[in-house]
Amino acid sequence: MKYLDLAMNAAASLGAEYADIRIQRTTDQVILLRNLSLKSANTSVIDGYGIRVFKNGAWGFAHNNVYSEEAVLATVQKAFEIAELSATVNKDNKLRLAPERSYIASYKTPVQIDSFDIPLSQKVEMMMEVNRTMLAYEGIRQATFYLIQHKDEKLFASTLGTRLEITSQFIDPMITATAVADGDSQSRTFDEGGKAVGWEWIESLDLIQVAKQIAQEALIKVKADSLGAEQRRTLILDPNHLGLTMHESVGHPTELDRVLGWEADYAGISFATPEKLKNYRYGSEIVNFVGDNTLSEGLASLGFDDDGVPGQKWHIIKDGILNEYGSTRDTAMEIGLGYSRGCNRATYYFDQPINRIPNLYLLPGTKPLTPGELISDTEDGVYIQGRGSFSIDQHRVNFQFGGDFFWEIKNGKLHRPLKKILYKSCNPEFWNSCDAICDERFWRPFGVVNCGKGQPSQSARMTHGSAPARFRNIRVGGSQ
Amino acid sequence: MTKERIQKFIREHCSADDYTFSISETDSHQTRFAQNAITQHIAGPQVRISLKVSFGTKSGNSMVNLANEESLLRLIQTAEENARLAPEDPEFVPSTGAAVLPKVDNSSESTNSLSPKQMVGIVQNCIDRAKTLGATVSGMCEKHHTHKFEFTKNGFVGEDAHSTFGHSMTLKRGEVETKVSYEAKDFASFDVAKEFDRLAAQAEVLSHMQSFEPQKIAVILRPNALEELMWFMIWMMNRRESDEGFTPFTGMLDKECFGKKFSLYSTLQHPDLIAPAFKASLPNKETTWVERGILKNMPADRYWAQKTACDAQNAYNIYIPGEGTSEAEMMKMVPRGLIINRFWYIRFVDMKAGELTGMTRDGVLYFENGEVKHAVNNLRFNEIPQDVTRRILALGKEALASPYAVVPTILVEDFNFVDKTSF
Repeated sequence: MKYLDLAMNAAASLGAEYADIRIQRTTDQVILLRNLSLKSANTSVIDGYGIRVFKNGAWGFAHNNVYSEEAVLATVQKAFEIAELSATVNKDNKLRLAPERSYIASYKTPVQIDSFDIPLSQKVEMMMEVNRTMLAYEGIRQATFYLIQHKDEKLFASTLGTRLEITSQFIDPMITATAVADGDSQSRTFDEGGKAVGWEWIESLDLIQVAKQIAQEALIKVKADSLGAEQRRTLILDPNHLGLTMHESVGHPTELDRVLGWEADYAGISFATPEKLKNYRYGSEIVNFVGDNTLSEGLASLGFDDDGVPGQKWHIIKDGILNEYGSTRDTAMEIGLGYSRGCNRATYYFDQPINRIPNLYLLPGTKPLTPGELISDTEDGVYIQGRGSFSIDQHRVNFQFGGDFFWEIKNGKLHRPLKKILYKSCNPEFWNSCDAICDERFWRPFGVVNCGKGQPSQSARMTHGSAPARFRNIRVGGSQ
Repeated sequence: MTKERIQKFIREHCSADDYTFSISETDSHQTRFAQNAITQHIAGPQVRISLKVSFGTKSGNSMVNLANEESLLRLIQTAEENARLAPEDPEFVPSTGAAVLPKVDNSSESTNSLSPKQMVGIVQNCIDRAKTLGATVSGMCEKHHTHKFEFTKNGFVGEDAHSTFGHSMTLKRGEVETKVSYEAKDFASFDVAKEFDRLAAQAEVLSHMQSFEPQKIAVILRPNALEELMWFMIWMMNRRESDEGFTPFTGMLDKECFGKKFSLYSTLQHPDLIAPAFKASLPNKETTWVERGILKNMPADRYWAQKTACDAQNAYNIYIPGEGTSEAEMMKMVPRGLIINRFWYIRFVDMKAGELTGMTRDGVLYFENGEVKHAVNNLRFNEIPQDVTRRILALGKEALASPYAVVPTILVEDFNFVDKTSF
């Protein structure tokens, strides 16, 4: 596209030390069906370009959605002026960019069936059937189906000579049944998070069976007991629960911008400071976390990040020890890294990219272990499925999590369903209490499509994953 | 395109039985700084153009961000296609008709005319002062001006504009970390020196921290902390969710489910509050949500309002009247307690019970015998906000917490802390 060269030539001639342009069209279709009433069938297209200029150790970022030579040049000029203005403040504290080579490449999320090609009527008809299935159960007061389909089409160019064409997309179906009984109300949700796949994923799911199961489980849950006073107990956590726990307690603390204090005023900082690299025991020896922006179906598998750095795979925690961070070209240099791990991503064209969690997952156990064997090896504990309440402090140390469905384990068996369960723990206690992880046959991904961070706030996506895992001696109890 | 041309274009090209069109344009400048340097610096306009159309009771929506004829045509075609493919909606309500909107003034010339150079100057000033204290400062200086125009096929026409200026900063010196934030529609009343003095004073008082165990204890919740709790409580006050049995307010209308000292309003009258003239094509109006402990009204959408014969209304801002008790007086009313600047990461624990969890942030002070003794570590709470209002012992004078909330400092007994941090 002619505007790529125009913008980069203009930035170079103004004297930019580095510049890039990201032309981005984001298409979303969001469908919300609640109790057979279509609350939203919305298709949105957000189209424009953002230009970053780096000059004298500072960034300037300007965006626009008017496509003309005049508008592009004016936007370059604005970004340049802002960078120069910022540089007056940064004169004693200049940012630097990690070296990077140029790339000419393209990337496309591998999809068999583009969900945007499926007629809306077909999608809504399927969603109505799922709604009807749940509402057929007496006691189910609310049935919702929320379906997000998202596509980003990006053209990227930088003054390094990089030219990228990237099309990425994902789907995220979420189905909830809410039961009301005996003065209480409880929900159960089917939520595997989003996946970078096409409509073929939806076709592979037996959503009518899913609807029956979550409706039945909502009814079980609303009549279940709670657990009473908090005690130290054993927890077994399912992958679709553990995804959020690792997101909050490992993903965010190992974002290098937080470590550096760049999020101090809003999202918070991190306890996992650089002097702890290679020596801090974050988890037990079986705990291995990998950052992997090459993961198949991963939401952060985009080929390249918004610095033009290719997707990579590396250990963030190795054998329980803090190994490395997720970094960007500007954060990497602050701790003397000579390279970026490619974690700089923006949400829309008008967002300046920021350091984001990569696809991040817990490696499965190396010895054969099934979930059934894990439960039968547990005398007394709680098994948690699905995501619920979550809250963590701004240094990413102390946290409290709920869940979506709970079983009490007694003498190696699922004893009775529970509700309103919370567990409290902290770093590094929690990951050091992990004493068993099921093997790779039981590893499941869990996508997060709404990770909020930054000022102005942005929403990013990434995939987590694990096999069911066991944690000993955690404070577990009922809510108030 | 001018708003008149857009309106004419939609009228001429949209063939649906009914439609609601809105365009929102925001011009922003945002200077983000961290650890005494500018890390992000963003400028540019944002546009959102939305259309909801209906054929009979079948509806579809579309949104674009370009205000030209080609884009508007695509907007209309997509919304109409979505509507034609949608099923009949049993909860369909037609768009609203002509309405008299309240006269509001939410725009500020001093904010709109603030230059990037002035904003960088403010940031520079804060960094220079932080350096003299041997500290680092991180934060955001931002201004926004938003203009919204909305009309329906049935005759509603609304236009609104508002400005906001915000400056927040977190100071870190050794183990001390604390924050102040200023957010208002009018930049003219902002004084950077005064704000930094407030930040430095807050940091100074936090310099001697002692470990504190979680427990039930009296708290003085400053306005930022109370505002955060209140928005979560208002989300639970949704009329439909309550009528259907999902919230703690089921069957509680006109009953005393809050403390007698507690009242809650949305108001168009307060000069410091942003009060949009309309929301979802409905004029905003003076609304009493809670009066001296009695639940008087609940936010409801138009479908539920029609079904249950209540008013459709929005909680567009928060006004909680205070009583004028000073913090010094509050500290003498209980033997011991904590002063909370703000909360962080509040989440629902149990929607039906109305239970929330969250952390304290940016400074917690322990007081005893009427005096502040020292700072303490941050704490986690599990609490039910409507129960908190029943335990209010005193209210201070109401103050601007954000452009959408004027609330007092309150003294509450037996606030339920359940865990603590190491910092």
